[in-house]
Amino acid sequence: MDMREFVLVTFTILAQMSVGAFLVMGVVKIIVGRKAGVEEADRMGDRSLIAIVVVLGLGLLASLFHLGSPLAAPRAINNIGTSWLSREILSGSIFFVLGALYAILQWFKWGPAVLRNVIAWLAALVGIVLVYSMSMVYMLPTQPAWNNLATPVSFYTTTLLLGALAMGAAFVANYAYIKRKTPDCADLQCTLLRSTLRWIAVASVILLGVEFVVTPVYLVSLATGVPQAVASAKLIAGPLGPIFLIRMILAFIGAGVFGFFLYQNAQNVEREKLMGYLAYSAFVLVLIAEVLGRLIFYSSHVGITL
Amino acid sequence: MAKQLAFYFDASACTNCKACAVACKDRSSLPVGINWRRVYDYGGGGWNPDATHPDIMIPNNVFVYSTSASCMHCENPACVAVCPAKAITKREDGVVLIDASVCIGCRYCEWACPYGAPQFNSTLGVMTKCDFCQDLLAQGLNPACVDACPMRALGYGELDTLKQAHGTINAIEPLPSADITHPSIVITPHKHSQPSGMGTGHIIKLEEV
Repeated sequence: MDMREFVLVTFTILAQMSVGAFLVMGVVKIIVGRKAGVEEADRMGDRSLIAIVVVLGLGLLASLFHLGSPLAAPRAINNIGTSWLSREILSGSIFFVLGALYAILQWFKWGPAVLRNVIAWLAALVGIVLVYSMSMVYMLPTQPAWNNLATPVSFYTTTLLLGALAMGAAFVANYAYIKRKTPDCADLQCTLLRSTLRWIAVASVILLGVEFVVTPVYLVSLATGVPQAVASAKLIAGPLGPIFLIRMILAFIGAGVFGFFLYQNAQNVEREKLMGYLAYSAFVLVLIAEVLGRLIFYSSHVGITL
Repeated sequence: MAKQLAFYFDASACTNCKACAVACKDRSSLPVGINWRRVYDYGGGGWNPDATHPDIMIPNNVFVYSTSASCMHCENPACVAVCPAKAITKREDGVVLIDASVCIGCRYCEWACPYGAPQFNSTLGVMTKCDFCQDLLAQGLNPACVDACPMRALGYGELDTLKQAHGTINAIEPLPSADITHPSIVITPHKHSQPSGMGTGHIIKLEEV
């Protein structure tokens, strides 16, 4: 584990969280828009858009620091034809530009709504391509610990899980903000936020389930694979074991236990304080869990190399 | 002009004197930690007690042999394909070169190469690797490693010509399988050489490589 891999953890986690949050926000806005109108939907999402773009920007900035020559970074998109790394950086940059453009237009309500929607759809699509490219970067024949289906599946799971819980935290913050302005919160917005949080809780429990299926299958496939894969499995079970265990426990408590209680409590107006604490801590715990998981990802690969 | 330049390595002659590795390091003034050519000892087997005299140990397939390896200037170079900056190219004569003025130092090629050929120079912030002594070749001279070998275990030439002269073996332990990148190497095996992926031994004294 060196500085360079820590930088890659930062970049991949922030970028995936940003894509996930954007997608989750899109789905929420579509559903809320149908139920309660575009205005309510915009009130729910627009503030968090800025945060999503900032998080991605920080991730891209961090990625510069794993380069031996950071100033040469623009050349990273020279080889779109065959290099997934080029495709990753290009799609990351396009997602950033589209996301920022959408955030600005949406904030000032500039331009026709149709145009803003088209940009949002394009951004979402590029975001999905970005996460796919990120996973393909690691699908190298010389890296058996990475070169399997678990990489894209876990990258997308991380994307959606972190995205959902980040938006959960954002919605709770939005809820508190609206409460400060209108303390009784008889507002439709408060009801919408609470029911949205229930759905986020459901999503996080399901995504946790995916992680808890993928992880053991992945470990078994490593342990029964080529010698380098077995060596990776031994690293995860051995020196990285405690981190692995903490990562699984934190994910379980954050997405599973807190997710379950969030689902139960979000409905009840009297328990809105508890709802807030649950949403915030679920996000923090899962963020730590995913960071640890990604540290393990970078620390456990054993290459087929001399 | 050659279509694909390749190295020839005679494992039956190599004594692991490391003259090739030192000549390479000297010619290219490589810093500590960067070795474009390396020589590996690969060995295995063990000792079993004799059936009737258990205090006497009988050698059981004990073997060791050496393999000198640099960039294989592969026919299908993984480094060229993955390099995001297009800093690595395959020249018309098959030599794979890194352009240090284009490299961004992301070290992605390091993960993709099965031979550990691209190595990061932290002072320069770029990747470096064997360039087949292109400056010497241009003067009609041999690569430094080839000239340095006292056992005449190293050679180079057109891949097809080398194959006709020495056969088609291009992967012995501890080299990885040739399927990944199709290395431009022709090997005369040692009598104990084992095919890649079917080895019963291990690299001996890796810290000495």
